[in-house]
Amino acid sequence: MPALDALVGQFAAQANTLCVGISVDSKHSHHHWAYDLGGVSFPLLSDFQPRGAVAAKYGVYLEQAGITDRATVLIDSEGIVRHASTVGVSGKRNIDELLALAVKLNRLEDFTPPRPRGALAPDATLYVREGCRFCQSVKKAVHSLKLGDAITVRDIEKDPAAREALAAFGGEVKVPALVQHGKVQHESSDIIRTLAELYVLT
Amino acid sequence: MIAEGTPAPDFTLESQFGTRFHLADHKGRHSVLLLFYPLDWTPT
Repeated sequence: MPALDALVGQFAAQANTLCVGISVDSKHSHHHWAYDLGGVSFPLLSDFQPRGAVAAKYGVYLEQAGITDRATVLIDSEGIVRHASTVGVSGKRNIDELLALAVKLNRLEDFTPPRPRGALAPDATLYVREGCRFCQSVKKAVHSLKLGDAITVRDIEKDPAAREALAAFGGEVKVPALVQHGKVQHESSDIIRTLAELYVLT
Repeated sequence: MIAEGTPAPDFTLESQFGTRFHLADHKGRHSVLLLFYPLDWTPT
Protein backbone atom coordinates (compact mmCIF):
# COMPACT_ATOMS: atom_id res chain seq x y z
CA MET A 1 0.00 0.00 0.00
CA PRO A 2 2.75 2.61 0.63
CA ALA A 3 4.06 2.14 -2.91
CA LEU A 4 0.52 2.49 -4.12
CA ASP A 5 -0.18 5.53 -1.95
CA ALA A 6 2.57 7.38 -3.79
CA LEU A 7 0.83 6.55 -7.07
CA VAL A 8 -2.74 7.41 -6.09
CA GLY A 9 -2.24 10.96 -7.32
CA GLN A 10 -1.05 9.61 -10.67
CA PHE A 11 -4.08 7.33 -10.95
CA ALA A 12 -6.25 10.39 -10.37
CA ALA A 13 -4.42 12.81 -12.64
CA GLN A 14 -3.35 10.55 -15.49
CA ALA A 15 -6.10 7.95 -15.50
CA ASN A 16 -9.05 9.69 -13.88
CA THR A 17 -9.22 6.77 -11.51
CA LEU A 18 -9.99 6.63 -7.81
CA CYS A 19 -8.20 3.88 -5.87
CA VAL A 20 -9.75 2.10 -2.88
CA GLY A 21 -8.45 -0.85 -0.86
CA ILE A 22 -10.89 -3.45 0.48
CA SER A 23 -10.39 -6.18 3.06
CA VAL A 24 -12.42 -7.88 5.79
CA ASP A 25 -10.67 -5.96 8.56
CA SER A 26 -12.37 -3.40 10.81
CA LYS A 27 -11.94 0.30 10.22
CA HIS A 28 -9.85 0.48 13.43
CA SER A 29 -7.46 -2.13 12.13
CA HIS A 30 -7.23 -0.21 8.83
CA HIS A 31 -6.56 3.05 10.65
CA HIS A 32 -3.65 1.71 12.72
CA TRP A 33 -2.19 -0.47 10.02
CA ALA A 34 -2.25 2.43 7.56
CA TYR A 35 -0.31 4.54 10.06
CA ASP A 36 2.27 1.82 10.67
CA LEU A 37 2.79 1.63 6.93
CA GLY A 38 3.70 5.30 6.89
CA GLY A 39 0.22 6.57 6.13
CA VAL A 40 -2.37 5.64 3.53
CA SER A 41 -4.41 8.59 2.29
CA PHE A 42 -6.84 6.74 0.05
CA PRO A 43 -9.83 4.87 1.47
CA LEU A 44 -9.26 1.42 2.94
CA LEU A 45 -12.75 -0.01 3.12
CA SER A 46 -13.96 -2.38 5.76
CA ASP A 47 -15.86 -5.31 4.24
CA PHE A 48 -16.65 -6.44 7.71
CA GLN A 49 -20.39 -6.77 8.34
CA PRO A 50 -21.25 -9.27 7.09
CA ARG A 51 -17.66 -10.39 6.58
CA GLY A 52 -16.60 -10.43 2.91
CA ALA A 53 -20.07 -9.59 1.55
CA VAL A 54 -18.79 -7.13 -1.05
CA ALA A 55 -15.87 -9.38 -2.01
CA ALA A 56 -18.39 -12.20 -2.49
CA LYS A 57 -20.43 -10.02 -4.88
CA TYR A 58 -17.29 -9.69 -6.99
CA GLY A 59 -16.45 -13.38 -6.68
CA VAL A 60 -13.18 -12.76 -4.84
CA TYR A 61 -14.04 -13.89 -1.29
CA LEU A 62 -12.24 -17.03 -0.14
CA GLU A 63 -14.90 -18.40 2.12
CA GLN A 64 -12.97 -21.22 3.81
CA ALA A 65 -10.08 -18.95 4.77
CA GLY A 66 -12.43 -16.07 5.60
CA ILE A 67 -10.28 -13.62 3.65
CA THR A 68 -10.26 -11.85 0.32
CA ASP A 69 -8.21 -12.86 -2.69
CA ARG A 70 -5.62 -10.32 -3.83
CA ALA A 71 -7.81 -9.30 -6.74
CA THR A 72 -8.00 -6.07 -8.71
CA VAL A 73 -11.15 -4.78 -10.41
CA LEU A 74 -11.24 -1.71 -12.62
CA ILE A 75 -14.68 -0.14 -13.05
CA ASP A 76 -15.16 2.52 -15.71
CA SER A 77 -17.12 5.73 -15.26
CA GLU A 78 -20.24 4.03 -16.58
CA GLY A 79 -20.07 1.44 -13.82
CA ILE A 80 -18.92 -1.41 -16.05
CA VAL A 81 -16.17 -3.84 -15.02
CA ARG A 82 -13.37 -3.38 -17.53
CA HIS A 83 -10.71 -5.48 -15.90
CA ALA A 84 -10.72 -8.18 -13.21
CA SER A 85 -7.68 -10.22 -12.21
CA THR A 86 -5.99 -11.80 -9.23
CA VAL A 87 -2.39 -12.48 -8.29
CA GLY A 88 -3.46 -14.92 -5.54
CA VAL A 89 -3.27 -14.39 -1.79
CA SER A 90 0.53 -14.46 -1.65
CA GLY A 91 1.14 -12.81 -5.02
CA LYS A 92 2.29 -9.26 -5.66
CA ARG A 93 0.31 -6.77 -7.70
CA ASN A 94 2.05 -4.96 -10.53
CA ILE A 95 0.95 -1.41 -9.82
CA ASP A 96 2.76 0.10 -12.80
CA GLU A 97 0.94 -2.27 -15.12
CA LEU A 98 -2.41 -1.39 -13.50
CA LEU A 99 -1.69 2.32 -13.91
CA ALA A 100 -0.90 1.80 -17.60
CA LEU A 101 -4.12 -0.15 -18.00
CA ALA A 102 -6.19 2.53 -16.23
CA VAL A 103 -4.63 5.19 -18.46
CA LYS A 104 -5.44 3.15 -21.54
CA LEU A 105 -9.07 2.58 -20.58
CA ASN A 106 -9.84 6.18 -19.75
CA ARG A 107 -11.11 9.00 -21.83
CA LEU A 108 -9.96 11.89 -19.69
CA GLU A 109 -11.84 14.57 -21.53
CA ASP A 110 -15.21 13.09 -20.52
CA PHE A 111 -14.73 12.96 -16.79
CA THR A 112 -14.17 14.68 -13.49
CA PRO A 113 -10.87 13.66 -11.94
CA PRO A 114 -11.03 12.51 -8.32
CA ARG A 115 -10.17 15.43 -6.06
CA PRO A 116 -10.37 16.52 -2.43
CA ARG A 117 -13.65 18.10 -1.34
CA GLY A 118 -12.20 21.07 0.46
CA ALA A 119 -9.52 22.39 2.78
CA LEU A 120 -9.10 23.19 6.44
CA ALA A 121 -9.70 26.75 7.62
CA PRO A 122 -6.56 28.89 7.77
CA ASP A 123 -6.84 29.02 11.58
CA ALA A 124 -7.15 25.22 11.90
CA THR A 125 -5.44 24.07 15.08
CA LEU A 126 -5.35 20.66 16.71
CA TYR A 127 -4.90 20.62 20.48
CA VAL A 128 -3.43 17.45 22.00
CA ARG A 129 -1.38 16.20 24.94
CA GLU A 130 1.22 13.43 25.33
CA GLY A 131 -0.13 10.06 26.39
CA CYS A 132 -3.70 10.67 25.30
CA ARG A 133 -4.83 7.69 23.23
CA PHE A 134 -7.52 9.58 21.33
CA CYS A 135 -5.06 12.40 20.53
CA GLN A 136 -2.68 9.77 19.17
CA SER A 137 -5.44 8.41 16.97
CA VAL A 138 -6.15 11.86 15.50
CA LYS A 139 -2.43 12.48 15.00
CA LYS A 140 -2.24 9.22 13.04
CA ALA A 141 -4.98 10.44 10.71
CA VAL A 142 -3.21 13.81 10.27
CA HIS A 143 -0.11 11.87 9.28
CA SER A 144 -1.96 9.48 6.94
CA LEU A 145 -3.71 12.35 5.19
CA LYS A 146 -0.39 14.23 4.94
CA LEU A 147 -1.84 17.31 6.62
CA GLY A 148 1.33 18.28 8.45
CA ASP A 149 1.46 21.61 6.62
CA ALA A 150 -2.27 22.35 6.72
CA ILE A 151 -2.79 22.19 10.47
CA THR A 152 -1.03 23.57 13.55
CA VAL A 153 -0.66 21.02 16.34
CA ARG A 154 -0.29 22.34 19.90
CA ASP A 155 0.34 20.37 23.09
CA ILE A 156 -1.64 21.81 26.01
CA GLU A 157 0.68 20.29 28.62
CA LYS A 158 4.01 21.32 27.15
CA ASP A 159 2.75 24.72 26.09
CA PRO A 160 0.76 26.70 28.70
CA ALA A 161 -0.16 29.29 26.06
CA ALA A 162 -1.84 26.53 24.06
CA ARG A 163 -3.94 25.54 27.08
CA GLU A 164 -4.96 29.18 27.54
CA ALA A 165 -5.81 29.51 23.88
CA LEU A 166 -8.03 26.44 24.01
CA ALA A 167 -9.66 27.60 27.28
CA ALA A 168 -10.49 30.92 25.63
CA PHE A 169 -12.96 29.16 23.34
CA GLY A 170 -15.05 28.35 26.42
CA GLY A 171 -16.32 25.04 27.73
CA GLU A 172 -14.26 22.29 29.29
CA VAL A 173 -10.56 22.18 28.34
CA LYS A 174 -10.19 18.69 26.92
CA VAL A 175 -8.24 17.11 24.11
CA PRO A 176 -8.17 16.18 21.32
CA ALA A 177 -9.80 19.36 20.10
CA LEU A 178 -9.91 20.67 16.55
CA VAL A 179 -10.55 24.39 16.21
CA GLN A 180 -11.67 25.90 12.91
CA HIS A 181 -13.24 29.32 12.44
CA GLY A 182 -13.20 29.65 16.23
CA LYS A 183 -15.37 26.53 16.68
CA VAL A 184 -14.22 23.56 18.75
CA GLN A 185 -14.78 19.92 17.85
CA HIS A 186 -13.89 17.22 20.40
CA GLU A 187 -14.72 13.60 19.61
CA SER A 188 -11.66 11.93 17.99
CA SER A 189 -13.75 9.95 15.51
CA ASP A 190 -15.62 13.14 14.51
CA ILE A 191 -12.35 15.04 14.07
CA ILE A 192 -10.89 12.27 11.90
CA ARG A 193 -14.04 12.18 9.76
CA THR A 194 -13.95 15.97 9.37
CA LEU A 195 -10.34 15.82 8.15
CA ALA A 196 -11.02 12.93 5.79
CA GLU A 197 -14.14 14.52 4.33
CA LEU A 198 -12.00 17.45 3.29
CA TYR A 199 -8.90 15.67 2.05
CA VAL A 200 -9.64 12.14 0.85
CA LEU A 201 -10.01 12.12 -2.92
CA THR A 202 -13.58 11.65 -4.03
CA MET B 1 -14.50 -13.72 -10.35
CA ILE B 2 -16.75 -11.12 -11.87
CA ALA B 3 -16.65 -11.04 -15.68
CA GLU B 4 -15.30 -8.09 -17.62
CA GLY B 5 -18.08 -6.21 -19.40
CA THR B 6 -20.66 -6.74 -16.64
CA PRO B 7 -22.10 -3.97 -14.44
CA ALA B 8 -20.18 -3.60 -11.17
CA PRO B 9 -22.34 -4.53 -8.14
CA ASP B 10 -23.02 -1.43 -6.07
CA PHE B 11 -21.95 -1.22 -2.42
CA THR B 12 -21.40 1.17 0.46
CA LEU B 13 -18.57 0.58 2.94
CA GLU B 14 -16.89 2.54 5.71
CA SER B 15 -13.26 3.69 5.42
CA GLN B 16 -10.45 3.83 7.98
CA PHE B 17 -11.42 7.48 8.55
CA GLY B 18 -15.07 6.74 9.31
CA THR B 19 -16.26 8.15 5.98
CA ARG B 20 -18.61 6.19 3.75
CA PHE B 21 -17.76 5.12 0.22
CA HIS B 22 -20.71 4.52 -2.10
CA LEU B 23 -19.68 3.16 -5.49
CA ALA B 24 -22.68 4.64 -7.33
CA ASP B 25 -21.59 8.17 -6.26
CA HIS B 26 -18.69 7.85 -8.70
CA LYS B 27 -20.68 6.82 -11.74
CA GLY B 28 -20.48 9.35 -14.54
CA ARG B 29 -17.46 10.99 -12.91
CA HIS B 30 -14.43 8.74 -13.05
CA SER B 31 -13.16 5.18 -12.91
CA VAL B 32 -12.70 3.28 -9.67
CA LEU B 33 -9.95 0.75 -9.00
CA LEU B 34 -10.89 -1.82 -6.34
CA LEU B 35 -7.81 -3.32 -4.72
CA PHE B 36 -8.94 -6.32 -2.71
CA TYR B 37 -6.36 -7.72 -0.32
CA PRO B 38 -6.42 -10.61 2.18
CA LEU B 39 -5.80 -8.86 5.51
CA ASP B 40 -4.23 -5.82 7.11
CA TRP B 41 -0.68 -6.43 8.36
CA THR B 42 0.12 -8.42 5.21
CA PRO B 43 1.77 -7.16 2.02
CA THR B 44 -0.60 -5.60 -0.44
